Amino acid sequence: MIYDEFVTQIEGHGKIHFDIRDGKVVEVRVEIQEGSRLFESFLRGRRAEEVPQMSSRICGVCPVPHNLAAVQALENAMGIEVSEQIKMLRELAIASQIVHSHALHLYVLAAADYLNVSGISEVYAKFPEAVKRCIRIRAVGNRGVEVVGGRAVHPINSIPGGFAKLPTRLEMEKLAKDFRSIINDCIETFNMFASLKYPRFERATEYLAIDDGKHFPAYSGRLVTNRGLKFEAREYRNYIKEFFKPYSNTKFCVMNGHGFHVGAIARVNIFKDRLNPIASDLLKNSPIRFPSDNPFHNNLAQALEMVHYTEEAIRISEELAVKLKDEERPKQTKAGTGVGVVEAPRGTLIHEYTVDENGIVRGANLIIPTGMNTTNIEEDLYAILTENIKKPKDELKKLAELLFRAYDPCLSCSTH
Amino acid sequence: MKPKVAIFDLTDCEGCEVQVVNSKFIDRVLGGVELLHFRLGQRVNRWDNFDVAFVEGAVITTHELELVHNIRKHSNIVVALGSCACFGGIAAINNFMDIKEAKKYVYGDNADKIETLYIKPLPEIIKVDFMIRGCPIVPEDFERVVSDIFAGRTPREHTRPVCMDCKSKGNPCQLLKGIVCAGPVSYGGCGAPCPSAGMPCDGCRGPLEDPQMNAELELLKKIASRDDIIRLFRKFAPMAPIFKEVGGGKL
Repeated sequence: MIYDEFVTQIEGHGKIHFDIRDGKVVEVRVEIQEGSRLFESFLRGRRAEEVPQMSSRICGVCPVPHNLAAVQALENAMGIEVSEQIKMLRELAIASQIVHSHALHLYVLAAADYLNVSGISEVYAKFPEAVKRCIRIRAVGNRGVEVVGGRAVHPINSIPGGFAKLPTRLEMEKLAKDFRSIINDCIETFNMFASLKYPRFERATEYLAIDDGKHFPAYSGRLVTNRGLKFEAREYRNYIKEFFKPYSNTKFCVMNGHGFHVGAIARVNIFKDRLNPIASDLLKNSPIRFPSDNPFHNNLAQALEMVHYTEEAIRISEELAVKLKDEERPKQTKAGTGVGVVEAPRGTLIHEYTVDENGIVRGANLIIPTGMNTTNIEEDLYAILTENIKKPKDELKKLAELLFRAYDPCLSCSTH
Repeated sequence: MKPKVAIFDLTDCEGCEVQVVNSKFIDRVLGGVELLHFRLGQRVNRWDNFDVAFVEGAVITTHELELVHNIRKHSNIVVALGSCACFGGIAAINNFMDIKEAKKYVYGDNADKIETLYIKPLPEIIKVDFMIRGCPIVPEDFERVVSDIFAGRTPREHTRPVCMDCKSKGNPCQLLKGIVCAGPVSYGGCGAPCPSAGMPCDGCRGPLEDPQMNAELELLKKIASRDDIIRLFRKFAPMAPIFKEVGGGKL
C-alpha cells in the first residue's frame, strides 16, 4: 500500500510512504522532495552583512530565526559583542515571529484536521470568527517583525553588530499597545485548541530546546534536553549527526543515535515553569497536562506559546519604549568559525559560518528544526501505525498525515 | 459563475504565498472565487480548466518542469508570483557556480543523487501573462493585479525606478553615501522598504524597462569592487534580463 501524493497543508513538498505486510508495518518513509537550493554552497563568497538577509530566504514562513541564527553565528565568528538592547530587540522579533507563524499553522494548516473541514475556504465559510481572530493575531505579529526588522516577510536591517536602523521609542510604545490588543485572541485560541479531541497516542521521546538560564527559550543559550543532556552550541556536531537517506533531499538527524523532538512541545515540556503569568495560569487549568509525550499536543503547546510570546512581546516593547537609545554598531575583530542557535517556531535552529579577515563567508552549515525532527517523525509514524494496524487503510493514511502535520513540518526550510 | 483559481508552489521559501495570506485575499477575494488548487491551504485539490493560475517558486526538478507545462495547458491566465518564478530567485545563484562542486559541498558522497537543474525563469519555459515581482511580493501589488484581472483589465506595469519610492520616503541616498545600491535600475513600486530600513536596494524586483545600466555601472565602479557589483546583481533576481549579464561578470 503506497500513499503517493504530496501532503497538503504543510510548508513544502513531502510524501508519506508506508508498507504493511501480513498485518505488520514493514516500512515507513518520510520522503521529502523539495528541490535542493544548496544555500550552504552559494552563501560562500558573500559578504557577512548580506548573509542574514539571504539566509532568511530559506523560509518565508519563518524568516526571522534564519536571519537571527545567521547574525548570531556571524558575530561569534567575527568576534562581535552586542549590547543588551540589541538582544532584547532580537527576542522581540523572535516572539513576534512565533506568534504569527503559530497562528498560520493552527488556523490555516492544522485547524481543518480537527474541525473536520477541507481547508481554508471552508474554515472561513464555517468559522469566520476564528479566521478573523487569526488575521488580527497575524497582523500584529507581522507588525512586530516589521518594526524591528524593517519588513514582515524577510527582515531587512538585521545584520552582524545590530541593526542598520533602530526602531524608535514611540514605535515600541505603539507595538506594546498592538500586542495588548491580541492577548484575548490568543487566550481564545488556547481555549479553542484545549477543547479539541486529539488522537490518543504516546511514545517516550527526548526533547531538545535552548536554555539561557533564565527565560523561556527564544534567542540564545546552550542546548538542553528533558533527559538531562546539556551542551554548548559550538559542540553541536558531537551530539547531533546529519545523514543522507536516498528518498529524501532533507538530511535526517539523530542525537546520540536516536530520534529527538524540537518545537513548541519540546519547549513547553522542558520549560513550562518559565512561562509568563497568563500562559502559566492557562496551563494550570488546562485539561491536557505537560510534559506530554503525545506529539499531537504540539498544537496545544503552540497555542499556549502564542499567549506566552505575546506577553513577552508586551514586556519587551514596554521596557524598550522607555530605554531604547542610539548606539554605534560594533565591528569585526577577528576571523574564524561561529555557531548561532535560536528557537524557530518549529524548534531549535543551528547556523554555522566561517568568515575570513575581509568579512567574506567561506563556509556554512545549517541544521533545521524539521531536519532534526525527521527521524522522530518516522519513529512516531511506525508506532502509531502499528498501534492502529486493524483500522481501514484510509483511516491509517489520514492518521499518518495528521501526525505529520502536528509537527508543523517545514520542508522548504529542512531541505534549503 | 465564480472564477476558477489555482495557486501552485514550486521550489521556494513560500514567502510570497505568505504575503498572499497577509493580503486582503482571505477577507475580500476568497468568498468570490472557486479555489480549486492550493496545496498549502486546503486538502482537497483538483485539476480543471483554471481561469487564473498563480505560480510561485523556481523550476528546480524535472517534476516541476512537467508541472508548469501542465499548468499552462490548463490555465487561461498564468501569473508568475514573486521573483523566483519571474527571475529564478536566490537559488539561481547556483547557475553561476560549478553545480557539481556545490552539490558535493552540501551532500558529500551522495551529491549524484540530488537533482538541481539549471534554473530558468518561468517566462523562458512557458508563456506567462503577468508577473508580480519581488522577494517577497508586496501584498498591494497582488491585490491590484488580482482585482484588475477579475475586472477584465490589463494590469499596469510600474515604470519608475526604486529611487522614486525611496525619495518619496525622504531617505538619504545610499549611493551618495558610497554604498552599492541597485535602486536606479530596479523596478519600483515596492515602497523602497530596504533603503527605508537603512540598507541598499538589491534589485529583488528585477530591472525596470530600459534601465540605464551603463550609467549605473559607471557610478558603481567609482565606489565598489568588481566582486561587490557582481554580488549585488547576482542575488534575488539573478536571471532577470541585464542583471544576468552583470551578475555573470560582463561589466
